[in-house]
Amino acid sequence: MTEFSRRRVIVSAAMATTLAAGRARAAEDALARVKKSGELKVGTETQFAPFDFLENGKAVGLNYDVFAEIGKEMGVKINWVALPWESVLPGLDAGKFDMVAGPATITKARSERYRFSPPVAEATVALMKRASDKSLTKPADIAGKAVGSGKATAQLAQLQKYGATLSPPPTVREYVDFSQAYADLAAGRIVAVANSLPNIADAAAKQKDVFAVVLPPFGEKSYFGYIGRKDPEYAALMDAFDAAFLKVKADGRLAKLQQKWFGQSFDTPDKAPTPAV
Amino acid sequence: MLWTHIILLGQGAIMTVAISAVAITVGFALGVLVCAARLSPVAGLRGLGAAYVSFFRGVPLLVMLLLIYHLLPAIGIDVPGVVAAIIGLTLSTAAYQAENLRGGFLNVGTGLVEAARMVGLNARQILLRIRLPIALRLVFPAVVNEAIMLLKASSLVSVVGVADITRDAQNLASSTYRPIEAFTIAGAYYLLLNIVLSGGGSSLSRMLGRHRA
Amino acid sequence: MNFDPALILASLPDVATGMAITILMWLGGSFMGLALGLAVSIARRWGGRWARLVLDAYVGLMRGTPFLVQLFLLYYGGPYAGLDLEPVQAGLLGLTLYSAAYFAEIFRGGFEAIPRGHVEAAVCVGLTQAQIIRRILLPEMTLLVLPSLINMFTLLVKETAVLSIITVPELTMVITAIGSANFAFAEATFLLAVSYWAIVEITGLIGRFIEGRLGRYRLV
Repeated sequence: MTEFSRRRVIVSAAMATTLAAGRARAAEDALARVKKSGELKVGTETQFAPFDFLENGKAVGLNYDVFAEIGKEMGVKINWVALPWESVLPGLDAGKFDMVAGPATITKARSERYRFSPPVAEATVALMKRASDKSLTKPADIAGKAVGSGKATAQLAQLQKYGATLSPPPTVREYVDFSQAYADLAAGRIVAVANSLPNIADAAAKQKDVFAVVLPPFGEKSYFGYIGRKDPEYAALMDAFDAAFLKVKADGRLAKLQQKWFGQSFDTPDKAPTPAV
Repeated sequence: MLWTHIILLGQGAIMTVAISAVAITVGFALGVLVCAARLSPVAGLRGLGAAYVSFFRGVPLLVMLLLIYHLLPAIGIDVPGVVAAIIGLTLSTAAYQAENLRGGFLNVGTGLVEAARMVGLNARQILLRIRLPIALRLVFPAVVNEAIMLLKASSLVSVVGVADITRDAQNLASSTYRPIEAFTIAGAYYLLLNIVLSGGGSSLSRMLGRHRA
Repeated sequence: MNFDPALILASLPDVATGMAITILMWLGGSFMGLALGLAVSIARRWGGRWARLVLDAYVGLMRGTPFLVQLFLLYYGGPYAGLDLEPVQAGLLGLTLYSAAYFAEIFRGGFEAIPRGHVEAAVCVGLTQAQIIRRILLPEMTLLVLPSLINMFTLLVKETAVLSIITVPELTMVITAIGSANFAFAEATFLLAVSYWAIVEITGLIGRFIEGRLGRYRLV
């Protein structure tokens, strides 16, 4: 503990006194490093269908296709580093890779801490129920029942906020990951799982007999973005990434890929929005 | 479909066996050193050995793996996931193996040691010819047991991205939305590996027993 | 990655609740496992051939698979077999079944280590089998296996971290949630390490105290 606080004190002291000297010794510019090595290292979790998942042992999904296009634009090879989600953001902080694919819902707290790419898909939260459940036809039907979402996720926050408007409010259970929430939904312990529309649409499509999506989405409109660092030495890299991303979007390649993986394309803004929550 | 999944997790099983085998072997050697420190006549070494055992038995392996993988880069040491996993497992198992070895040493009958001294063996000979071989035979079942525990504990290395049985099962669960099936296959693999391990352990144990004094 | 001690202080009340749940689950599951393990070890030794076969399979299964896999199948697979448990119930049952297998093995080793002469002497003075188990074997064995039992208890503290996958709000779940909500991964990891280390060390202290007290009754 002392080791870390000491590092921090030294860093702030250096910044306060000789900013220029501190800067000169700062880490190498990320864009220059990526260009030099010819590879962009991207952290990913392989457990976020349809963005990123394994099909017969091979990593596939929207992310791989989108990053391949962006890599072409930037003239670099994409080098994927697969970790469980709980290790991905710490890995970015620790400098294990340059960016995180995720994607993650663009939230206020995350925007303060990380730099988001332009939105890659809509992330608005909806409910998924058991296909056999006839009692649940609209989001408000969860009032007074048990529902689930992922621990410490933006989707959970939306569910809690929405739940508070219902009377009686639903009981919200928090799961370590969404696989377990789906398992509990199938087992009948909860009546619905709240997650972003692209994800539950994929689950319901792959397990038609078990799951069904409850429309319309109940959450506020939100978006998924790729994640980078805010540190100054990463600014040029993120600018270059955003420019390449927008090029892929402008000529319709992104929409085509959304169609391929989601069965629909989304109308997303060109700049990561700054959400209220 | 089921067979492709079983074959997929088989690749994870190879990874599980590989990192566990390295960790148990290197961990044994390190355990011998830690045990030697704990039984040393030098008080400082004894303290170090005791602190090592206390720390690595007290901190959960999961936390240890996170510390090695995420916090070492903060002080300029960066290791890939597989290396972090092997380091974490090795450091942890060494603490348990050191304690097993210490128990073995302390249980070598004082009568045997006295008898050896009577027939004129020196301290070095007593250690190498009497205490060490007997202690090793005494702790052998505990080493096999520790290998089984380690094989199961290795299911935590998925947290640093190592594609072992558990991580493969989680991947399978999230792409097929069939977690029960995925975890059943994973459980079957661990059971199979452990049956092989304990079966092999008992036959080896019997072979060692034949040379019992 | 930076480190903010203030965050640790601010989250202490939540951490205390998580710690209380961890300790309750751990002690509850371990003591029930201890009782079940003793019953299993007695049934394996004196219960006849079939009981031994079934219980050997049970012990092998529990010791051969990770606790995480067992707990997952018990909680999420249970409802398909008509066993619909709440997270805390499933956690306690899972810990009990898992630890009982290890305790049964420890007790088996203890029974085997008791000198035959003691049992023969008891038979000679006319004690029945039940009396021999209760008056001779159990007390002697308890002394023999005490260090192993305490070791097993400390191992089980750490196994309770797995309970988070079935939504039991225990220490690991609480601390990692705080860590990811605040992007404070270093602080969370550090806090986890210290918390478990403290529980394990305190358990070790209590264990050594009990060993010291009971050591007086040790034979030879």
